[in-house]
Amino acid sequence: MSMSDCHTQSLCPVCFRLLDAEYEARGDTVHLCKVCPEHGPFSVPVWKRVPGTPNFEVWRATRRIPAPPQHPATRVHKGCPFDCGLCPDHAQHTCNGIVEVTSRCSTACPVCYAQASADKGGNPSLETIRQMFSALASASGPCNVQISGGEPTEREDLPEIIRMAREFRFGLVQVNTNGLRLGVEPGYAAHLKEAGLDSAYLQFDTLEGEACRTLRGKDCIAEKLAAVEACGKAGLGVVLVCTLVRGVNEGTVGDLLQWAVCQGKHVRGLHFQPAAAFGRFPKGMESEGRITLPELMDLLERQTGGMVRIEDFHAPSCEHPLCSFSATYVRLDGNLTAARAGSCCSASHPLLDNAETSRISRNFTARQWASPRSLPIAQYDDFDRFIADFGTNFFTLSAMAFQDALGLDIERVRGCCIHVVTQAGRLVPFCLYNLTSRDGRSLYRSLPDHEQPLSERLEQA
Amino acid sequence: METENTADILECCKCHVTLESRRTDFVYLNYNFHVDVPRCPKCGQVYLPKALVEGKMADVEMLLEEK
Repeated sequence: MSMSDCHTQSLCPVCFRLLDAEYEARGDTVHLCKVCPEHGPFSVPVWKRVPGTPNFEVWRATRRIPAPPQHPATRVHKGCPFDCGLCPDHAQHTCNGIVEVTSRCSTACPVCYAQASADKGGNPSLETIRQMFSALASASGPCNVQISGGEPTEREDLPEIIRMAREFRFGLVQVNTNGLRLGVEPGYAAHLKEAGLDSAYLQFDTLEGEACRTLRGKDCIAEKLAAVEACGKAGLGVVLVCTLVRGVNEGTVGDLLQWAVCQGKHVRGLHFQPAAAFGRFPKGMESEGRITLPELMDLLERQTGGMVRIEDFHAPSCEHPLCSFSATYVRLDGNLTAARAGSCCSASHPLLDNAETSRISRNFTARQWASPRSLPIAQYDDFDRFIADFGTNFFTLSAMAFQDALGLDIERVRGCCIHVVTQAGRLVPFCLYNLTSRDGRSLYRSLPDHEQPLSERLEQA
Repeated sequence: METENTADILECCKCHVTLESRRTDFVYLNYNFHVDVPRCPKCGQVYLPKALVEGKMADVEMLLEEK
């Protein structure tokens, strides 16, 4: 059954040809459907209608005033998604810039969007990294920055990189890490804190050894628990990040959440990432195994016995509505209470100004994901008490649905506010940067250092 | 420099009576806050000191306007 206003564009997952696409309801699930004249039809589930979860069309229909980049780095030539970037047609400036400081990672997990491994590529020089920070700051101003990879802690000069990021006055300086070095090396977390790190974006999929072996190739839960503790002692905020794969760990999301809220107040939130089929992933580019956002909302409510509820979750205020959901809670004695009902930025709001909502969102993330603030010496009134509560007891629960070559929606790509900085100083929406075709070809990640927009490369080929 | 004690000497420009520090309810995004601010005992108008508006009130507003 077709829906109204269901048209968009996507790519062929085989040849990356730009295709018309549409959302189509089939039974209880909304699919994104498209046909490549050369490689045939493709469809992928994007929104499973679970009773009690938000309606797809309502959630998707949040109206927005675009906030294009103020200083686009490329011109519109072949059109989205081939001109990154950002090009003047992009609808959202950067909230979170990702700077990859290495492509190496000795863990080489079975699931890795970056396809990192111990012997992959080289590390960019400090001067190159400085240029990447500079390009991000010039294009996007005081956004938040995530130092990523590969595994950033495998670089001995990571503290120097953190200090460098601080010089550019980004709102939040965070490291995306597997946490192993933080867990095993005494004093390492404090060393990064001293360098200016605010927060660890800590890969943490499960508390069960078998699931950990499936996703990470070994049981490293003890090291991750030690990392959480070490960050707390060092004064670093921690955001736990759970990669979610059906049949592996979707049955324990409630256990993970209930455990997370009982950790120290330095654990600022739990973020779920249902696995997408890009980079290295375990089950091939099949469509049926995906976990969609409403399914995750339902799993969280049922597995926590209603501690968190579907109605708590709201659409994002900056990226495209189909890309994520989130909720904020006050935690007390291992329990969570929704911080408030509804949101000024929720899907029920008539018209969102992306520039304003992204400013709010950026600031919120910088405050909430950093280490908890100290209580004021004296609390005189309700304003003081609320501010103190926020600094210590707030907890965010969120999820992001990545787009792979099957599920790519150009409308979502244009609304993306999470941008990877390339070594040539270009900004590319996260999912486009990591997109791979069915045979493993990258759309952007494999560009050489002297890269050109893809449209120009195609023209020359 | 203006301080919270200025409630003692502030006068309502409409009623010409001295403002008194009274508990006032602030409601924003389903949250209720009870805070003492200078209020006219006659017409009920409140005076919000600049330091309060640009300080704690602005902080609370930003915290509530999470994504």
